Amino acid sequence: MTAFGLLIDYEYCSGCQSCEVSCKEEHGYPVGKWGIRVMDDGPWEIEPGHMNWNKVPIPTDLCDLCAGRTAKGREPACVHHCLADVMKYGPVAELAAFMEEKPKQVLFVPQYKPYEARGAFVSARKDDASRRRAAAMEVDANAQVEFATHRDDSDVRNVEELSEQ
Amino acid sequence: MEKEYSDWHDNPTMRSWHPERLNARSECTISDVNDLNKPWRFEEDGLTVTRTSPWSPPGCHPVGCSLKLYTDEDGKLVKVEGDENNPVTQGRLCVRCLTLKDYIYNPSRILHPMKRDPKKRGDADAWEEISWDEAFALIKSEYDRITKEYGRESIVCFAGTGREGGTMAPFGSRMLCTPNYCYSQSGYACYVPRMAASSYLLGAAYPEIDYAGGLPGRYDDPEYEVPECIVIWGKEPLPSNPDGFFGHSVIDLMRRGTRLIVVDPRANWLSTRADYHLQLRPGTDAALSLAWINVIANEKLYDAEFVEYWTYGFDELVERAQEMPPSRAAEITGVPEEIIIESARMYANATPAAIAWGLALDQKANGMQVGHCLIALMAITGNIDVPGGQRIGDKTMGLNEAGFGFEEGLGQELIAKMIGAKEYPAYCGLILNSHADLTLRAMETEDPYPIRMGFYAGNNLLSCTSAEPERWMKAINGSMEFVIAFDTFMTPSAQATCDVFLPLATIAEREGVVQTHYGSSPVTMGFMNKAVTQGEGMSDMELCFNLGKVLNPHLWDQYEDIRDFIEHLRLGKKYCYEDIRKEVVLQRYVGYRKYETGLLRRDGKPGFNTSTGRVELWSYAFHRFGDDPLPYYIEPQFGPESSPELMEEYPFILTSGARTYAFFHSENRQIPYCRELNPDPLLEINPEDAKRKGIVDGSWVKAVNQFGECVMKAKVSPIVKEGVVHAQHAWWFPEQDGNDHGGGAYDTFRSNINNLVPNFHFGKLGFGAPFKCMICDVVPISESYDTDMDEIWEKFGKLV
Repeated sequence: MTAFGLLIDYEYCSGCQSCEVSCKEEHGYPVGKWGIRVMDDGPWEIEPGHMNWNKVPIPTDLCDLCAGRTAKGREPACVHHCLADVMKYGPVAELAAFMEEKPKQVLFVPQYKPYEARGAFVSARKDDASRRRAAAMEVDANAQVEFATHRDDSDVRNVEELSEQ
Repeated sequence: MEKEYSDWHDNPTMRSWHPERLNARSECTISDVNDLNKPWRFEEDGLTVTRTSPWSPPGCHPVGCSLKLYTDEDGKLVKVEGDENNPVTQGRLCVRCLTLKDYIYNPSRILHPMKRDPKKRGDADAWEEISWDEAFALIKSEYDRITKEYGRESIVCFAGTGREGGTMAPFGSRMLCTPNYCYSQSGYACYVPRMAASSYLLGAAYPEIDYAGGLPGRYDDPEYEVPECIVIWGKEPLPSNPDGFFGHSVIDLMRRGTRLIVVDPRANWLSTRADYHLQLRPGTDAALSLAWINVIANEKLYDAEFVEYWTYGFDELVERAQEMPPSRAAEITGVPEEIIIESARMYANATPAAIAWGLALDQKANGMQVGHCLIALMAITGNIDVPGGQRIGDKTMGLNEAGFGFEEGLGQELIAKMIGAKEYPAYCGLILNSHADLTLRAMETEDPYPIRMGFYAGNNLLSCTSAEPERWMKAINGSMEFVIAFDTFMTPSAQATCDVFLPLATIAEREGVVQTHYGSSPVTMGFMNKAVTQGEGMSDMELCFNLGKVLNPHLWDQYEDIRDFIEHLRLGKKYCYEDIRKEVVLQRYVGYRKYETGLLRRDGKPGFNTSTGRVELWSYAFHRFGDDPLPYYIEPQFGPESSPELMEEYPFILTSGARTYAFFHSENRQIPYCRELNPDPLLEINPEDAKRKGIVDGSWVKAVNQFGECVMKAKVSPIVKEGVVHAQHAWWFPEQDGNDHGGGAYDTFRSNINNLVPNFHFGKLGFGAPFKCMICDVVPISESYDTDMDEIWEKFGKLV
């Protein structure tokens, strides 16, 4: 199956947050929930006269790559509205090829609600009749009860002795 | 004298690991140019590379992640890298060793012995540099004077955690010859309550989750099975690497299909990836674990064969669990009933499944009973000593030093004087420590006898380990005439209470052995190779040997030198250190289902090393010690049920001490790259509570209760549920003045959450303390105590 992703050219991401809001409008996500978020690194000084300040949109676990839109052949809402035009949507192999062209790009392959995607837990082994079972053996009592955490060549103390003091 | 060594190759539990590629990490994480299978020392680009598997300092639970230490022609450490030849970590490394250079050459590190007039305790300017000879002469004269007048029992050796010194029992039993080796945390609320449960019920040391660390093929080894489920119970293994468990192994296993259940009052990274996050009220773990037993027993989800042949007291346990149906546990814990039931089913059905049980269990008076429940769960689900389940050591493996030469060093008369041995034998006999709270009482009241001298072994108790730290400070300064600190940096504890400071060597400057779980549940055994010298520091092994020879030569003449002592203490007198150290790290192979093969018992018979020879769900030992032989739930001492009259004033449940990547407990605050990750002491509070209290993210707040108060910086976050707050622990401020200006040395009492935690709130057998289940109020304050990272960089960034 072809994997689809978002390619982001963070050299030019201005942090306008149109991706965040267009996503909320598209999906109806309330205040406090996001399908994509712009992370903000900076500004901090690299050397006098030069600051580091990068904005990087990161799809969240609520990003479904606008399944409803892309099923109809349209691009995701964030890609469509990006003011700085830094986002691309497409098959990962095609997007990866763009990464050869310039630096400061990042390619995301999001997963919508990963906890739903992996499904409920079902043991694959619990009912396997061929699994080795605990052996049926006779077990003798121990002559004495030790503080069993001590190494065998140290002074191993005996529980009975100590509790009788 | 020619020594007779064994060849470690003949020991089937010790194996070297020489793969052609990394087999626990993914492809492309290591290049074709790599150092796999290089010798313990080699040359590269004009630098000497020394491979080593460190313990401490800097402090760490003993994973022994291997390092490559690059030194230049002047013997200076210029670079540290993770060594890909370690079978567990395979080159990965955390920030605390990545910054080793900044620790070793930190301008504030103490490199020479110092003394100070005991009358001037607390005066940061009164220290005077001295030689080792002078320091030893002073210690000897004070030791002789004090022991002559008050006896050797008047000395307390305060142990901390994570440092080699923290478990270095011979400091007490053979160097100072006092029975009062004392982990200074109330109720030994760390590891030992869990060890008590496993020792008394399972007859073995700590059952760790099996992450294939001892198998040559690691996760792909034919003997191994990836667990279908890991339960992370009261533990945050990723930053804490508890007791030698390399926490990120959990992620290795998640990648290979393992699913998670997380039991924790806080959300953490793992819980966000878990099938179930059981966000219980702090301190109610016993109710939850009893309810799991209830579900698993009543729905017959247990391993019937294991229960029948290998456990004792199942029917009694099931009867007891009837008192805790999931509906009742839901009321107590705040976890919905259906989540309790579904998660119990998931754990029982997963084949195999493992429980990573954490420190949070210990930090309540009821903790040993939680340990009891979890051992019972591991047993009835058939997960003990099976691949991908819970791994235990064999009969030759145990804590390698608690009992080392103990009786020879002390004699019966002194052993009987150990503080708390009569009152709490289950505690004192297990770990051969004096009882922490009763030791505090002895300092305060001279009951049972006066305490006059102290020694800090890897312990900064005023900042980290001790509840009511100012009370401990007063008790120490009020009773002790002479106190010795042994550390890498001046700590608030040493500054406030000590008279002699001895410099401690770092991992790059020392030799020794490191074993996961202190040798008791082994995965690897690592060896330290010295690469640099900085100052005059001694290792814990060296000080124990050298000062032991001065104070009690009759116990030390039997060792030729330090390495001979290392061989006796760490290598069971069997192996030659000079040879084995060149291996840097060995895997420990212990095999599985050893209860069937007689490898767990000294008599060589099948079964477990308990009184009945089975896993005791009904405990003979607990019965013998006067406690309930079955697990039970009791409410935390403070909270809505136990102290409703206090809840109006102190409406929040307070938990504390979650670990961070940046720090090992009270360490690393003076390492700029670490401090930058977490500059200020944080208190996590739910957004709804913050709104009600008028607290905004990043503002400073006061946490206060009936025992004390401190100031923290608010982190407003849904990490905690409404009504619960979490505070970081072990804060002090090395950039501040060592002289006490009202907040303790280096302001350690200003933001010390232990101010709010009382002593003497342990369980019936002496274990546990409420560090993780207190109550408090949180109020906004107008002052700001924000750390200035420029100041940290200025003070500590210029390496010497």
